[in-house]
Amino acid sequence: MPIAYPRRIAAVLLRFAIWIAPHDAHDWGRGMLSELNHVQGNWAALIWAVGGAGVLAKHALLSVILPGSRRRTLSSATEVFSQEGPMRKATLAAIGACIAASLFFFLVPIFRQAFHVSLAQWHNVIHVKSVFDMQGPDPDPELETLARKAEKNHDAEGLAFVAARTTNQSESARFAEEAVHLDAKLTWIYAVVAVRYPSLPEIDQWVPILQQSDPQNALPNFIVAQKIDIEEIDRNQNAGHVEEKTAIWQNVMAEAFQSPKLDDYLARLTELDRRVLLRYQVDDPFQTFRDERWNNRPSYAAQDSSFYANSLLESGRTLRARGDRKGAFEKYLTVARFGQMLSPADWDFFLRGELQAAYKRLGAIYEGEGNKVEAAFYTSLANQTDRAQHEKLISLRNRVRGSGVSRWNSFLVKASGLVILFSGGLLLTCGLAIMVRGKSFRLSALRPSRLTLAFGFFGGIGALLSSAVLYVSYRPYAEILQRFMRNGDETNLAELYSFLDTTQLPLGAQGFLDVWQFVLYFWFGVVLLCIFALLVAVLRRLQFNARANAAT
Amino acid sequence: MKIPRISPQALRVLERFIEHPTAWRYGYELSRETGLKSGTLYPILMRLAKFSLLETKWVTTEDGVPPRHTYRLTPKGGELVRSLPGTASAAAKVRRPAFSGGRA
Repeated sequence: MPIAYPRRIAAVLLRFAIWIAPHDAHDWGRGMLSELNHVQGNWAALIWAVGGAGVLAKHALLSVILPGSRRRTLSSATEVFSQEGPMRKATLAAIGACIAASLFFFLVPIFRQAFHVSLAQWHNVIHVKSVFDMQGPDPDPELETLARKAEKNHDAEGLAFVAARTTNQSESARFAEEAVHLDAKLTWIYAVVAVRYPSLPEIDQWVPILQQSDPQNALPNFIVAQKIDIEEIDRNQNAGHVEEKTAIWQNVMAEAFQSPKLDDYLARLTELDRRVLLRYQVDDPFQTFRDERWNNRPSYAAQDSSFYANSLLESGRTLRARGDRKGAFEKYLTVARFGQMLSPADWDFFLRGELQAAYKRLGAIYEGEGNKVEAAFYTSLANQTDRAQHEKLISLRNRVRGSGVSRWNSFLVKASGLVILFSGGLLLTCGLAIMVRGKSFRLSALRPSRLTLAFGFFGGIGALLSSAVLYVSYRPYAEILQRFMRNGDETNLAELYSFLDTTQLPLGAQGFLDVWQFVLYFWFGVVLLCIFALLVAVLRRLQFNARANAAT
Repeated sequence: MKIPRISPQALRVLERFIEHPTAWRYGYELSRETGLKSGTLYPILMRLAKFSLLETKWVTTEDGVPPRHTYRLTPKGGELVRSLPGTASAAAKVRRPAFSGGRA
């Protein structure tokens, strides 16, 4: 009687499986093959062969992946029933290697710095008070430590560094005064603090000192004008014309418009920062970071300048109407010179209209006199104003938003930092789950399930890959920082500031104005998840009780 | 000794061996008694043999028919399996197949 085809196929399949199987599985394969003669039914024989061939193929695969697996002695009954022993060991080894490699990254100082930077996004999420409290951010412990050291060492520069950074107004003033008391060359720190805290009562004493130490600088005049503006607002006095302003305000603005220079002291502050950070070996990049988007300028300076420039233009028009060409020329020229003086620091950005008007009117006066050369010069300046304004707008936008590269790197740093935290949490949870399941802390007693192994594997791979991405993304910025700290090289420092600026935003928040909204949604989500978890736990408990009641 | 996690399939196989510890059993016979397919049964047998809990031998039953591979618990295997706490109670929960074949 001819053997049916399924049985033939079954025999061929098993013979092939025996052929590919490792030597120690041959007996088992032949055993399956011999049993094939006793299996009732052709299709049942084929199913038998398929199952057996699968077992042998699996052994063949394992012998390729893990060659040299040998018979070993039995240590406990538990070992007999451990499933997928070799595969489990290989996975555990891979997880261990990933964790070790990830931890190895932490030995590298640049990586530790990068990890610290990646955590900055969580500051606003965790310190909710600092987001919603208009009094400003929480005190910085590192800065406080530095302040204590500087006071103890009578370090004037250290105190000036703290004065320019601390969020406590009165402390800032105190540190500034201590710094100047120790080193009179640091009087400029008064201007930095006064710009930051324009309502400080100490400003009245500081301004004469600033004017004496740097008489040509217009900055102290703007500081005084701003303080007067704030006091007027506090008294609900809103002047509509320059004539309604106080004589002091008019005088300081007139002096500002006649000043030959405007120094916001940022260059000195940057150099001081570098020396202090090196002296105290501070490697926190956020301590080098200052928000330079608006320079060190009083908030009201642009409005005051525009207000005063318009009044000059108006009085020039009146003088011209009266036939006083020289008087009008002087007024227009004052505005034009003032604009030229502000240009290097980009302060002229907010005076585009006034400057253009001054140039045009100066050109018209020369035109009237028949001086074609001067007329053409001022007309060309007026025409260039729009283009210059456009270029400065792009530059300002880049400073505010950061370049595309820094935004992308910032995203990578924040995302990889997040993945590291998530992977760490996952690995920790897996470790706890294994210990709870094994009811022991002994390594030999720990037997992870396949699911735990899978989660652990993804956690390990995630930690390793994200550590590598974090290191690679942050390294260029660490180099910029190191170059600045070691040699004072400010190349690409603006790029570093832009990167750090964006890194402080939580992943998903588009801008600083969105942070409070992001924080709100984040905690709302957390509360919702907790409620959901609680509901699931209660429902499961009720279900369990119902089953127990039904059983009894 | 720590209680091992034994799969219901392994319990079915052990149950067959524990019932007649000295008897030699065929693979197909065990498969029918336990209701396990060859792909499930043989890995269990191989694991037990790997740890010397099971001994194997080839037997010739009749002329012209290839010898068959047979299995039996070793004394060490019998002792170890009996020492597993809860094995009997766990085995009792396992569905017993209606068919029960002969022994070699």
